[in-house]
Amino acid sequence: MYRAVKSNPLKRIATQSKRFVCSKYFPEEPIVPTILSSHIPGPVSTKLNNELGEVYSNSATYFVADYFCSIGNYISDADGNKLLDVYCQISSIPLGYNNPELIKAAQSEEMISAIVNRPALACFPSTNYKQILEDGILAAAPAGLDKVWTGLSGSDANEMAYKAAFMYAHSKKRGENGFTAEELKSVMENKTPGASDMVILSFNKAFHGRLFGSLSTTRSKEIHKLDIPAFPWPKTPFPQLKYPLNEYEAENKAEEDRCLQELESTIKNSSKKIAALIVEPVQAEGGDNHATPYFFQGVRDLTKKHDIIFIVDEVQTGVGASGKFWAHEHWNLTSPPDIVTFSKKFQAAGFYFGNPDLQPKQPYRQFNTWCGDPSKAILAKAIYQEIVKSDLVNHTAQVGDYLYAQLKALLGKFPDKVSNLRGENYGTFIAWDCATLEIRNQVLLSCRAKGVNIGGCGDASIRLRPTLLFEKRHADILLSVLEDVHKAL
Amino acid sequence: MSICSQYFPEEPKAPVVATQEHPSVKSKVGIASLGKVFDSRGVYFVADYQKSNGNYIADVDGNVYLDVYAQIASIPLGYNNPVLHEVAQSDKMIRAIIDRPALGNFPGKDAEEIISEILKVAPKGQDKVWSALSGADANELAFKATFFWYQAQKRGYNTEFSSEEVSSVMHNQAPGSPELAILSFERAFHGRLFASGSTTCSKPIHKLDMPAFKWPKAQFPSYKYPLDANVEANKKEDARCLAIVEELFKTWSVPIAGVLVEPIQSEGGDNHASAEFFQGLRDITLKHGALLIMDEVQTGVGATGKMWGHEHFNLSPPPDLVTFSKKFQSAGYFFHDPEIVPNFAYRQFNTWCGDPARMILAGAIGQEIVKHDLSSQAARVGAYLFKKLEAVQSKYPEYMRDLRGKDRATFIAWSLKDAAARNKFLVDMKSVGVNIGGCADDSVRLRPTLVFEEKHADILVAAIEKVLSGY
Repeated sequence: MYRAVKSNPLKRIATQSKRFVCSKYFPEEPIVPTILSSHIPGPVSTKLNNELGEVYSNSATYFVADYFCSIGNYISDADGNKLLDVYCQISSIPLGYNNPELIKAAQSEEMISAIVNRPALACFPSTNYKQILEDGILAAAPAGLDKVWTGLSGSDANEMAYKAAFMYAHSKKRGENGFTAEELKSVMENKTPGASDMVILSFNKAFHGRLFGSLSTTRSKEIHKLDIPAFPWPKTPFPQLKYPLNEYEAENKAEEDRCLQELESTIKNSSKKIAALIVEPVQAEGGDNHATPYFFQGVRDLTKKHDIIFIVDEVQTGVGASGKFWAHEHWNLTSPPDIVTFSKKFQAAGFYFGNPDLQPKQPYRQFNTWCGDPSKAILAKAIYQEIVKSDLVNHTAQVGDYLYAQLKALLGKFPDKVSNLRGENYGTFIAWDCATLEIRNQVLLSCRAKGVNIGGCGDASIRLRPTLLFEKRHADILLSVLEDVHKAL
Repeated sequence: MSICSQYFPEEPKAPVVATQEHPSVKSKVGIASLGKVFDSRGVYFVADYQKSNGNYIADVDGNVYLDVYAQIASIPLGYNNPVLHEVAQSDKMIRAIIDRPALGNFPGKDAEEIISEILKVAPKGQDKVWSALSGADANELAFKATFFWYQAQKRGYNTEFSSEEVSSVMHNQAPGSPELAILSFERAFHGRLFASGSTTCSKPIHKLDMPAFKWPKAQFPSYKYPLDANVEANKKEDARCLAIVEELFKTWSVPIAGVLVEPIQSEGGDNHASAEFFQGLRDITLKHGALLIMDEVQTGVGATGKMWGHEHFNLSPPPDLVTFSKKFQSAGYFFHDPEIVPNFAYRQFNTWCGDPARMILAGAIGQEIVKHDLSSQAARVGAYLFKKLEAVQSKYPEYMRDLRGKDRATFIAWSLKDAAARNKFLVDMKSVGVNIGGCADDSVRLRPTLVFEEKHADILVAAIEKVLSGY
């Protein structure tokens, strides 16, 4: 594919170093987890967290980490425990803790300048910003999308994508005409026609962030949304596939057809113009819900047919974990998405687009003080270059295949406790369901006590979100801990 | 030796004007090239940050401007400040950059220390903080805190959600997604995301084509200048505007949970209001059980002569939330009431919950400001500058109307007769080596760094006179 061609000069080095890629970065990475305290969080962690609570909300703290002592796939806590980390800061550590190549990037002159001289990028960009983008964020761009707008987080990226979609849809409607006097007046009262009455369509169980626009498209859990005013935007069902996939092909196709029909009827029955549809390649927070390329092609076709901007939210799925750089590459769409958003493992956030009309006609509309952060773009560049140099996307695909096969065998032994293993041929982006919320929480706690930091998602699911330097030997440790934990349930 | 000379022994003595046009050749090439992949239509010039120093910003064409715009009011201690350089190279910073934590789940051992540094310069009466990534983000998180608090007041802080709330919220409907409002003011600017955009009321172009919440706008005082000659009229204006706020609380179709206001409306034209006006807002919010949110994104961090702009007002009790960003480099909100932290985990939450790299920088900036008492320096330099500008104003009254910001340090602005005159002035200032910004349609605002001194003020005033003498 297009990226393989781009990365060709580096391929040779990649092949040579591939087998020991993690040891190459982290010769001193622990061989196994170390557990020193009787509980996690241990006494030091608990004490520090209580102190933190005096000044900063600490109610969701798992444990207090020691990042200076964390290394590679292992996170150290304040009590000296070293845990194999397959949660990775909610899926946002790409190349392990204290990666030496990222240290180099952090020590570089361009990074220091970016930290101390943070520009208002859209007014006073630095001489090297274009090059930083071209060597990193843009070099990694999904096929067909050659422009970018940078933001600060996944929520921010999605909301700016919505803004782009609203401005595009209104501009199209307006044609060659400028803003009307009525628009200019009413918008200052937050009223139509100047304020838009168009909507963004999202899916049941989707997660797209927690600011007011993004949260209006988030449908994961009540606790994410309660007490926050929301826009009256529509939602539509996401397929609920049955596993194993090869045993339920017909049912699953029927389910996807049902969801596509519902989608089309939602579009047709919407009293408001749908400016954009947003979808995750895998609904991650919502429970790692997958759908097939057939479904996504169907969504692409319907958005084309009804003139709806198609936004793919790759905040969690992007940057290699699925065994492709961008998860939507698994779909081989007939035409690329209109917008792809990113954040988390890329450290920088923003959205890619191809159609120049997604940039508003007038300047200062898609605009803010900082318009991104060059220090994060420099980090994204270093991350991208290491991923290419060490061929980490293929590496992750291979390790993921191994892990999936082993998990299938292991979890198959506990059919009353776990089910619906998913993420086959999807890198290390793997998840499964526990029979109950209690079992899920017990598994997470027991794993932590045995030295594996692991995360949940959805109502009773467990998700794996390791780094791109996760190897078979790490998988074996994870599998062994999971086996012990499930035997003891 | 002055603080600025200590930090920047090599700071240029004067601007360098190397080209006739601004932007010139290399900047234009850079703008066109960047424009292929990134919207560059708002670019003034392509900057060379390696060559920028202290109060001076260099461009790629060899121009070196005295910068009194400072990245839209967001450079606190000058370009390439050596202390910040040291911080940027510290082990602590490097780890923060490469091991960015999900702070709400896995705070680092040094999180408390980093946050405490920020809290050392918290506004009077505030002792807790929640961190964010930008001013818009900070404001929206403050809105969320306000709505959580407001509903908790009604429901009881520890009361569970009703089943109706739980079922309706997934459809974005009340009562789970309640209809509640944040009241803001005409000409306010609070950001450009969807909720912050709904409270922003600066210019149509900031808002057009975005869905907005139907939240109310009150009127912000429009004072007559000079202030000391218009005391009575301005007092009446305060009363008129407060009456509108009071009226909106009584009549708006949905409950108002919070009032959001800038100590000085900056993007909206550097509109000032009196301590009495702000105390009036404080009283009205208390009376109606709403929170008062001070948006200190632009006014905070020393530029008004106090660390926080609202400290000029001596509000009693202090505001409930104070948001910050820009010159602090890190963003978020300060607060003091423990019940502003929601009752359950994962409500005020997101992946990163801030950025320790930026928080470390904020701590260092705060320390330098305290160590060198840079707020007082800004007050001293601002008073000096204001006096000189008053003299310019008396010579060129048509080009310097409503000079404002007296006793607000370097946070100074004035108006011209219209947008065309203002825009011409901003461009002309570049040709005499000064990078200067506008606000509203017809105003000029000064937003220099905190290491802007009398010698820079002299250069600025001479440059203004040079431009105006040609009009």
